[in-house]
Amino acid sequence: MKFRCERDVLVEALGTATRAVASRGGALPVLSGVKADLTGDRLVLTGSDLDLTIQVAITVAGQQDGVAVLPARLAADIVRALGPGAVHIDAEGDEAQISSGRSEFAVRLLPAEDFPRLPETPGDEVTLDAAAFEEALKQVVRAASHDDARPILTGVLMAAEGDGLRLVATDSYRLAVRDLPGTTVLREGQTVLVPSKALGELTRVLSGAETVRLRLAERDATFEVGETKLTTRLIEGEFPNYRQLIPNTHPNRLTVGREPLLEALRRVKLLAREATPVRISLKADGIELTAITQDVGQAHEDLDAKYEGTEMVIAFNPEYLADGVEAVKGDEVTLETVDALKPAVVKSVESQDYLYLLMPVRVS
Amino acid sequence: MSSPSILHVDMDAFFVSVELLDQPELRGRPVLVGGAGARGVVAAASYEARAFGVHSAMPSTRARQMCPHAVFLAGRHWRYQEVSTAVFGIFHDVTPLVEGISLDEAFLDVSGGRRLLGDGPTIAAEIRRRILDEQGLTCSVGVAPRKLTAKLASEAAKPKASIEGPVFGPGVVVVEPAEELAFLHRHPVGALWGVGPATRARLDRLAVRTVGDLAALPEEAVVAALGNAAGRHLHALAWARDERAVVPDAKVKSIGHEETFATDHHTLETLDRELLRLGDAVATRLRKAGVTGRTVQVKIRFHDFRTITRSETVPEAIDTAHDVVRIARRLLGDVDPSPGVRLLGVSVAHLAEGAARQLTFDDAETPGWTGATRAVDEIRDRFGDAAIIPAALTGRRPKRRGDSQWGPDR
Repeated sequence: MKFRCERDVLVEALGTATRAVASRGGALPVLSGVKADLTGDRLVLTGSDLDLTIQVAITVAGQQDGVAVLPARLAADIVRALGPGAVHIDAEGDEAQISSGRSEFAVRLLPAEDFPRLPETPGDEVTLDAAAFEEALKQVVRAASHDDARPILTGVLMAAEGDGLRLVATDSYRLAVRDLPGTTVLREGQTVLVPSKALGELTRVLSGAETVRLRLAERDATFEVGETKLTTRLIEGEFPNYRQLIPNTHPNRLTVGREPLLEALRRVKLLAREATPVRISLKADGIELTAITQDVGQAHEDLDAKYEGTEMVIAFNPEYLADGVEAVKGDEVTLETVDALKPAVVKSVESQDYLYLLMPVRVS
Repeated sequence: MSSPSILHVDMDAFFVSVELLDQPELRGRPVLVGGAGARGVVAAASYEARAFGVHSAMPSTRARQMCPHAVFLAGRHWRYQEVSTAVFGIFHDVTPLVEGISLDEAFLDVSGGRRLLGDGPTIAAEIRRRILDEQGLTCSVGVAPRKLTAKLASEAAKPKASIEGPVFGPGVVVVEPAEELAFLHRHPVGALWGVGPATRARLDRLAVRTVGDLAALPEEAVVAALGNAAGRHLHALAWARDERAVVPDAKVKSIGHEETFATDHHTLETLDRELLRLGDAVATRLRKAGVTGRTVQVKIRFHDFRTITRSETVPEAIDTAHDVVRIARRLLGDVDPSPGVRLLGVSVAHLAEGAARQLTFDDAETPGWTGATRAVDEIRDRFGDAAIIPAALTGRRPKRRGDSQWGPDR
């Protein structure tokens, strides 16, 4: 395999494919590599940890077709370090020459025949608006769990809801629900559970794109954006029944500016260390945020807001609350509560397509 | 120079003295507190027992050989805790600067009380009098310009064991600043903190026997023998350069229980019942202290004394037996107990006050463990700890603080 390529093009493609490369080789050492497959002028780079596979195709000046598996991190580091201009790669036997200008590297290749055959997702392709999908993913992925001990909660549920698509994630402390009306991806009643890690990577790929093509099958899902293809294994298992968690009525309702609340939280949480919460005192004429850490100090901030309901103090993990407020669109957010021990709902004043449910911190 | 104001107060044979207080008929006899079983150790020995060479931390079987007629008591940790709290109350009447070392030992800085209460020696005598009057117990007090010498002074104030019975010490030993170095230099070098057998062997080669011998050496020679950090540190101590202040008691960093079993456990099934008992007891103490924790640690000691610990930190602060046991179980699940487990410990660290707890959706759905736990606490407060226990432990009593701490009774 032999080709020439602009450094910047190769850096970006390697960077994207490498994001799926297993951080530790694990059972299959070859998975610490990125596969380069050249046919004519089309170079396809593939990185995979078997759960997630990212494939990027770029156009290069091909000189000799072939397949090689380069050590992923090393190759990406070398190409990034080279001077601007053309990069020559020539893989022959068990070594590849990477050169540019007067720099030349020889790196040992990984055995290409060991690279596993990766799944092709069958099924019909559905095209979605990339910007809308990216926004929805960002709103929901944040609520997914990172705890591998509870694999179900590390996924984002995709389900048909009414005439549209619904995305749901929860780590058991908070729950994010986003509806994309008019987007039909799944059959009525069909649900899939997509690893949030894969969707996090997808949001990076989506930025700036126009459309994303999506295929869903029993075991895996594929997202294609331009020449980048991301395939992920789906999580098996039953997602918790989240509907029953959302309270039907909320007697208390706070309306407050989104940006002022975020800024106040950002300041006050400096004094909310070691999992101490931020307390919010809800009163008709405004709210007060307080954070107290024993032996460190305390922070207070008053905020103008509109509050209808019973006066009360409710406490939250400031990170979790800021996550929800940040995810909401528009200038104003509402915080609806039942009491200091029941889930609270963060929503936008303008649109009803997103909901963030958050459990308080008990401070009694 | 002003009079010394650092006090080291050390209760005399504390556990044994408390037992004698409650069972005066045992006075004058050799009494041991500790684990009486094959694996127990001596936690405290009366002066009558010490005359036979018995000392604390000695295996109980050895103590029995040396002093077969000794009365062996299992120890009542809760009672020692109770008395200790009262004694520390007296310390706190004198100064807020109380640094507890253990239940029966503390450093006090009384430099602030001079005008109101008198100088260090006066306060030391007053503390001894109050502890004797109010608790019926004796203690020894060292008064010196710094912690290092105060500790040595309290040792010098202690009663000594002899075949004819205890020989009472002076009770209070005062080391005036002018005589501090001479006092320190008289001691064997092993009296310095941080001088263990290995260091002593190295110093032996330099013919260093006393602290004075060590002080007489140039610092470079000590550094050459012991390494840079240890050498400088010990040389400074030998010249009574010990600037450590009396630090008022640090907050508790973790709450835990551990237990040595009468016979080894070889299966996860039987070990799990012990885990449940310990976890239940730890969670109860967390709630009584009004704290929650985020890190659960499990300690396992195998039959050959090999000891491992496993810990996990979770995002939500926990204080229920359900949560403590759930995480501890996960940690224990990776351990192979088949060689035999002689000790199991469960502790919770990363403590936060105010019982702040991140609720989960499970709490919202059902009254859940939060409600059940509150009910357990109310029942235990009214009817005692044994009134309600996890179902898997039916027929056993709940773990109490200090149970089998020094080895099982049988």
